[in-house]
Amino acid sequence: MTETKYFHALQILADNCTGCTACVRVCPTEAIRVRDHKANIDPYRCVDCGNCVNVCRFHAIIPLSDPLEIIHKFKYKLAIISSSFFGQFTEDISYQVAKQAVLNLGFDQVAEEAAVTDFMINIIRDYIRKNRDKRPILSSNCPSVVRLIQLKYPSLLPNLFHQEAPMSILTRYFRDKISKEYGLEEKEIGIFLIVPCIAHVTAVHQPEGAYKHLQDGAFSIGMIYGKIRDSLKELQNNPPSIETYPQGLTWALSGVQAELVDCEDIRTLSVNGVENVMEILSRVEDHYLDQYDYIVLRTCTNGCVGGCLNVENPFVAMSRIKKMIKEGQGSDFDTSELYELYQKGEFAVVPLAPRPIMELDKDIKKAIQKMKQINEILTMLPGLDCSACGSPTCYALAEDIVLGKASIDDCVVLLRRHSKDSEEE
Amino acid sequence: MQDSAVAEFEMSEYWYIKPNFEEKVRDFFAQKREPEVVLELDIPGKDFNIAGKGSSELKNLLKRLGVDSEILRRIAVAGYEAEINVAAHSQGGKMISNVFDNLIYMQFMDNGPGISNIQQAMTPGFSTADDLVRELGFGAGLGLPNIQKNSDALHITSALNSPTLVEIIIFF
Repeated sequence: MTETKYFHALQILADNCTGCTACVRVCPTEAIRVRDHKANIDPYRCVDCGNCVNVCRFHAIIPLSDPLEIIHKFKYKLAIISSSFFGQFTEDISYQVAKQAVLNLGFDQVAEEAAVTDFMINIIRDYIRKNRDKRPILSSNCPSVVRLIQLKYPSLLPNLFHQEAPMSILTRYFRDKISKEYGLEEKEIGIFLIVPCIAHVTAVHQPEGAYKHLQDGAFSIGMIYGKIRDSLKELQNNPPSIETYPQGLTWALSGVQAELVDCEDIRTLSVNGVENVMEILSRVEDHYLDQYDYIVLRTCTNGCVGGCLNVENPFVAMSRIKKMIKEGQGSDFDTSELYELYQKGEFAVVPLAPRPIMELDKDIKKAIQKMKQINEILTMLPGLDCSACGSPTCYALAEDIVLGKASIDDCVVLLRRHSKDSEEE
Repeated sequence: MQDSAVAEFEMSEYWYIKPNFEEKVRDFFAQKREPEVVLELDIPGKDFNIAGKGSSELKNLLKRLGVDSEILRRIAVAGYEAEINVAAHSQGGKMISNVFDNLIYMQFMDNGPGISNIQQAMTPGFSTADDLVRELGFGAGLGLPNIQKNSDALHITSALNSPTLVEIIIFF
């Protein structure tokens, strides 16, 4: 395996882990095993989808994000808020109030992902039209989707939209702008994302494909939500006047985003939920979905509103955001400079390398031998896929045994059958 | 008239071998090697929820062996189309995938009713699919031509009121 150390924005608290295997069963890349009654995550296989965080009833898998205090290390502090943030509040709390409350946490300026949605839609369309040889183009905003493709569908890597995500585009734009405006050095400016999922936290700490340093930290929407709750009431009595971009909030909803890209010469498809994403990617591999020009893929339910760091249910959050889009009157964000940078290729990202996890061996003859061994062991296993051994399925256990990571004695069902047999003797 | 009626009940066969693959295909049948891994799956007639499972399982198996992605795609497409054919046109059958270290040999055998004119069935756009099948979005008459396009060798044996055997070879 590779020597690269892969960081992930989650942590297993061994003291809390009961070894229940709930996480093992929901992991889409079979990255988790329970060994010695404790869950372990294989960092090479993890795609930060957050399924294990959501399913753990024992608070044993904890999402990691940065503590708010780190902003004080910088002279100028900018927060960039993910669009799903504004779906987290009850309807009596206005968009302006929620945004002002974030500013009051100690930032000098608050920017929004939603401000560049229009710009993103335009460059996505431009990219689709300029890359006619590749169909369909796959959205690259969701870091979990990108990693999933690296791991399980590497032949689709060239189909990814090879441009930065909106929050990274804003980071580059503002770092330059603030530095010029305030005469600050780039490293004196702290730029932080307020994000809905651990995949975005991981991406901030371990960016893939970026040509240069981007953000200085990532805060969880849930954490920020907790910190601003008290100040919301006060602000409601004294409503601030602050620019908002309700029309751009579509970025948080995968379906609406696809509808916006869709036009006369571009046909789009929207897919969310990690199981659906995998099924669709498998069909894209076989060229069954070539009739689509662009596919929006998000591993969370309904898109980023379903991220595991949000506080509100993804359907309720989606409904609120749709209401804001319908009723809100947005400000204009001047994107002319962004278009210039895009034309110069400033937002292009490095093509990503595959990280295949499927192959049993590089040599097909050896791979076949291993597969035969796996099949042989599989005939001995009970086929219940109960996960009691700590591997997700009987097949995974057989594979673990052949790869030297487990033993057949780990099968609890077999053990019980054997002990019954010997009792009868 | 009588002659053709008799002819309909005779077994007929169809061969396609991609140019320059004749010798490799002949060798394969002559050697009669045992497959390394075999994947067997029942395909119930008219059940479009299950049809497609076999080729998707096969693709996952071949991914584990590190088969090249372009070749994988051809196998998945040919396998999927053949599976759909069994589900759409027959009373059910099975798919047997024989994996060798340099090729895949897929067999699709069904329980009838057979193909009366294979040459006609190979014509793009020709289809005998019934309304149920068409309603589900299948039956465009591109199944067999698509299989041939993606195969290195294709062999069809059939007759009216008899089982059909479709054999596909794709080299890695």
